[in-house]
Amino acid sequence: MAPTRVITGQGSKLGRTIHGLAYDPVHDEIVVPNALADAILVFRGSANGDEPPIRVIQGPCTKLVTPHSVSLDLEHGEILVASLTGKRINVFRWNASGDVAPVRMITGPQTELGHLVGIAVDPKRNLMAVANSEDILVFDRLADGNVAPRARIAGPKTGIIDEPWQMQFFKGKIFLAASNHLHVNLYSGVTLKESSKAVPDDPWLNPTLGFVGVWDITDNGDVPPRAMIRGPFSGLLHPVGLALNPTDGEIYVSDSVRNGILSYLVPDFFEPKDQTLSGSHHKE
Amino acid sequence: MTTARSKTKRVTGWAVALTGIVSCAALVGSSSEGHRSQPFPEDIPAARMVADPYSALNGIAVDPQSNLVVASDPNRKSLLFYDRSHNNNTGAQTVPMRQIIGPATYIGMVASVVVDSGRQEIYTANNDIEDTVVVMPYAAKGNAKPARVLSVPHQAWGLALGRSTDELAVTAEIFNAVVFYRREAKGVEAPVRVIRGPRTRLADPHGIYWDDANGEIGVASHGNFRGVLRNTGSGCSPAPGSVATAEESGEFRPPSIAIFSAKGKDDEKPLRVIEGDSTKLDWPMGIAEDSAHNTIAVSNNGDNSILIFDRRRGGNVPPLRVIHGDRTGINRPMGLAVDSQNGEIWISNYGDHTALAFDSGADGNVAPKRVLRSAPAGTPSPGFGNPMALAYDMKRDEILVPN
Repeated sequence: MAPTRVITGQGSKLGRTIHGLAYDPVHDEIVVPNALADAILVFRGSANGDEPPIRVIQGPCTKLVTPHSVSLDLEHGEILVASLTGKRINVFRWNASGDVAPVRMITGPQTELGHLVGIAVDPKRNLMAVANSEDILVFDRLADGNVAPRARIAGPKTGIIDEPWQMQFFKGKIFLAASNHLHVNLYSGVTLKESSKAVPDDPWLNPTLGFVGVWDITDNGDVPPRAMIRGPFSGLLHPVGLALNPTDGEIYVSDSVRNGILSYLVPDFFEPKDQTLSGSHHKE
Repeated sequence: MTTARSKTKRVTGWAVALTGIVSCAALVGSSSEGHRSQPFPEDIPAARMVADPYSALNGIAVDPQSNLVVASDPNRKSLLFYDRSHNNNTGAQTVPMRQIIGPATYIGMVASVVVDSGRQEIYTANNDIEDTVVVMPYAAKGNAKPARVLSVPHQAWGLALGRSTDELAVTAEIFNAVVFYRREAKGVEAPVRVIRGPRTRLADPHGIYWDDANGEIGVASHGNFRGVLRNTGSGCSPAPGSVATAEESGEFRPPSIAIFSAKGKDDEKPLRVIEGDSTKLDWPMGIAEDSAHNTIAVSNNGDNSILIFDRRRGGNVPPLRVIHGDRTGINRPMGLAVDSQNGEIWISNYGDHTALAFDSGADGNVAPKRVLRSAPAGTPSPGFGNPMALAYDMKRDEILVPN
């Protein structure tokens, strides 16, 4: 099927490598990172065609470095940005524009931040989480500077192998697209690393397939997902994008190998955490 | 970025979804979970799926000696071979002469494709995290192993072969660079030289051509730029000790075509740059030089046009000709190739499953000479290019999908 509308072209300031976006229903805006221009773009919710953003956050004061994903704190009016190579989380006011400094920035060796491609914020519980290189890190929402995460969900029981991707929060649950592709970067920029010895296998042919996993925001350590979508009937191979529609009980998932979007009707995934989930790992 | 209605065509069963991409079905089979007789509770069938079951044409190359057109297909992860002289005037899907597809091929989210007609080899760049250039012999078909696989920097898009220096040039979007290798490089092999740096004017480079006759290389840039700028403290507080601290900072530059010496390297200034409002450049993608006419042709993705420039001019110059309009059939053009022998320009449309051939002298709102179709005419295209994030717009009941 064809899209209903397309935002595209030079005037949009979009790149053709967009790995995150979020919709703001309060202000009816779309927030998109442009990793190749170290920028955050904000569009009208009804934007169409070669339409310019209504605001752009970009410049040396922003300290944005390859911003790959965004999450919106609608309660406190903030945009949270995860950087892929910058190993940082930048927080801006929702209406920030131009070359502005972030109101908070989490960065430094204590943070354990690595290859970040997913971020989500839970304003009710004052928590945020990021999809890190091989794990989920949970921080206090107001964390700032070189701070350690308050929790780390990682290990063989989690099923997360490499590069967990987009994540969302809903009522105390973390929803994650765990891609489990195996990305081996042989280069540092355009310089071949001395350690590079052989062409890796196709990253999308990792026989351990990806999944959609649900954890509780209070989980910590090597904790299996409390609910999952995975397996041959699901059609998921290496899922990366993930959006929630709690009203209709649907989860939307993009899959890189399929180059498409799949929709799952899982209303029980959105129920309070103390209720049984149909896709519970513990039912195996 | 594309948006798609969330309430879309309902698939008649999950099995339909599994037949969408052949190479993916093989992946499922290779899973350790692929032979279960009973699904686990978490093996929940999808209620709906939005995907394109047909090949989506991205890069394109033409070999008049072999009467061949080759297109890359990032949707089904394949290379398609077509009869160059075929014209599909029925609206039916054009049957390719052969297709290279399958898990052994290393073909993934492929972008540019170039052909070496003398050695009968095809090069294609995996644009996403595969980070490879795959070389196939002309005779390859099906689930063929490549003749060579070369690891390259992340986000490789454009490819060009230098016959005079026997090199392969690769553009790397995120690094604002052109990386050069020995033509026969394979496996893990360091580049022989790199064009990169603020003086190069490269900014999110895509298409590239190699003009052996004039000893030049041309590179089309979108303008997204990540540079290293010093924080001067104006407008925000400089970090302590920032005099020695260089922070990365991005900017939007105009789209451009930068022309370098074919022997260029390092932070070398281009010989000339086509850039500015008069150029009409708008997300320039595939690019090729037409030696017969001393011109450069560019597929202009942003406004569905082909721009033809005087090869010898730089600056804010208008194109000599513009192929644009409803009769042209140009729809999100990506690849572009010039067939000087037959006086034709080929483009691949990512928007509607077609490849189009125009006369080299075409101008204005003209119909293409010939059409190849990877799907029946009128087949809608979602336009996905590895969608790696989603958002739900609850006001409009729409799913937002970036590419």
